[in-house]
Amino acid sequence: METVIKTRGLTKRFGRRTALDRLDLDVPPGVIVGYLGPNGAGKTTTIRLLAGLIRPTAGSAMVFGFDAADQYDALQRRIGYLPGDFVAYPDLTGTQYLNYFAHLYGGVDRNRIELLAKRFDLDLGVRIGALSRGNRQKVGIVQAFMHDPDLLILDEPTSGLDPLMQREFRALLRETRDAGRTVFLSSHMLSEVEAVADTVAILRAGRLVTVQSVQALKDRARRRLDLTFADVPPAARIHAVPGVQDVSVDGHTVRVTVTGSTAELLKAVAPYDVTNVLSHEADLEAAFLDYYDGQEEPCSATSS
Amino acid sequence: MFRNVFLKSVYDARRGLIGWSIAIAVLVLLECALWPSVRDMPDLKELYQSFPEELRKFFNLEAMTTGAGFLNAELFTLLLPALFLIYGIGHGARALAGEEERGTLELLLVTPVSGSRIVLEKALALAVSVTALGCALFAATSIGSLVFGLGVSVPEAAGGALALTLLGIEFGVLALAAGAVTGRRATAIALTASAATAAYVVYAIGLILPRFESWQPYSPIHQAFHDGPLGAGLQLSYLWLIAGTVAVVLCALPALDGRDISTAHAG
Repeated sequence: METVIKTRGLTKRFGRRTALDRLDLDVPPGVIVGYLGPNGAGKTTTIRLLAGLIRPTAGSAMVFGFDAADQYDALQRRIGYLPGDFVAYPDLTGTQYLNYFAHLYGGVDRNRIELLAKRFDLDLGVRIGALSRGNRQKVGIVQAFMHDPDLLILDEPTSGLDPLMQREFRALLRETRDAGRTVFLSSHMLSEVEAVADTVAILRAGRLVTVQSVQALKDRARRRLDLTFADVPPAARIHAVPGVQDVSVDGHTVRVTVTGSTAELLKAVAPYDVTNVLSHEADLEAAFLDYYDGQEEPCSATSS
Repeated sequence: MFRNVFLKSVYDARRGLIGWSIAIAVLVLLECALWPSVRDMPDLKELYQSFPEELRKFFNLEAMTTGAGFLNAELFTLLLPALFLIYGIGHGARALAGEEERGTLELLLVTPVSGSRIVLEKALALAVSVTALGCALFAATSIGSLVFGLGVSVPEAAGGALALTLLGIEFGVLALAAGAVTGRRATAIALTASAATAAYVVYAIGLILPRFESWQPYSPIHQAFHDGPLGAGLQLSYLWLIAGTVAVVLCALPALDGRDISTAHAG
């Protein structure tokens, strides 16, 4: 299968500041990739490089086999793009604006626009300048999806959306993926990525920290467990289990944090009389923060 | 109205064009209304003779005894070209640099429409808008001349309006090109205004100092103004204005390629 996105040593410097440092990334078709990182990590820079809007300082970005540095016209016609600061033309209504882009895209099924607008409860008759931030963002989402592109490049797509709309948006993402399209979305919100992405790429200070499936990331996430014993808890035994941290004893209950699998711990405490095990669901937040421990001061430049 | 970048850009210009057209028409008609009283002033020729020679040459005062000469001196070589330049440069700077600063240019680019196509359609929209302003000027001059007896014929009025239109378009596309290269509206306006001032200085110095007369033909201002603009007829030098416009647009076509496009400056 054709690799949709393939970057090698992709580097972008703005003056002396390195926004993106030697990024190697492969994205196969039919997946949702969550691109995570704090503000200023280089997410927007990556996205704008992939969309062919800025030129790399070094390295290459291939999208559908086209070099984003000089064959951007070829790839730009195949992507749906939503910038981080979606503004549009404030004097146009949603209908006028989307009609304009429908023509630029070379024709879009009008029903699809209506359907998307209805789905997101968006009134297309209102001037974009008069829309709230969330509703304006919906116009951007419709614009990015309406021509059914092969690749969606979305920069912080859910910013401004209320939880209900975020859920609707996630459903749209899944449908898009299930139709064989590829989605590359940036976010600093873990919950958003966790809920929808297949793969997570974590970026910090312009460098790719890791690329993993969401499942793998969860597996190596830290999990809090509360073990309640019938008798005095075997604290020393628990301490000795690899991966166990932060052991605290409170009466007959032991609170621990486990990194990765909990199997070893459960095996260790099995001979003792465990009356209750309470597991707090692992979240990506914890895994994510693991990657951020000891991060240098975040650079809060224009790109995020 | 939203079929392509060209039509959308003309649509964007509509409100401004209506305002500018009315302003220019009112200005021309008011000036025309002054003509009967100026014409009937006794000793008008003597009055002009009393001015210093440079001033007479500069404003072509000898010609002010005719309606066409009066309009040339009062409007067509002074206020009107300034207005056409301001309109053209403002429109040109907004066309691409304005879209880029607003954050909409990147959206236009991530479509099947190429960068050079956007530049071309924006330049065409600019040309159409300035031409619309030129039509308003032509209509006002013809009507004003008819009503107040200035004796400016329809072809003369058309020639004068054409000269200013071509001038406005040339500096307009220069601002558009500067905006396409720099991505900044203020820079585009500053660069083009400087170029227009330089062109005016070359033209004016040639009028005052014969030594510099040979430089004049290089100035777009001279190309538009000489022997008129009203009553000059169709000058060959107008072709230079067109050639300059075409050359600037051709140079600007690849300007959006190969450089970084900015995102919105203010979210």
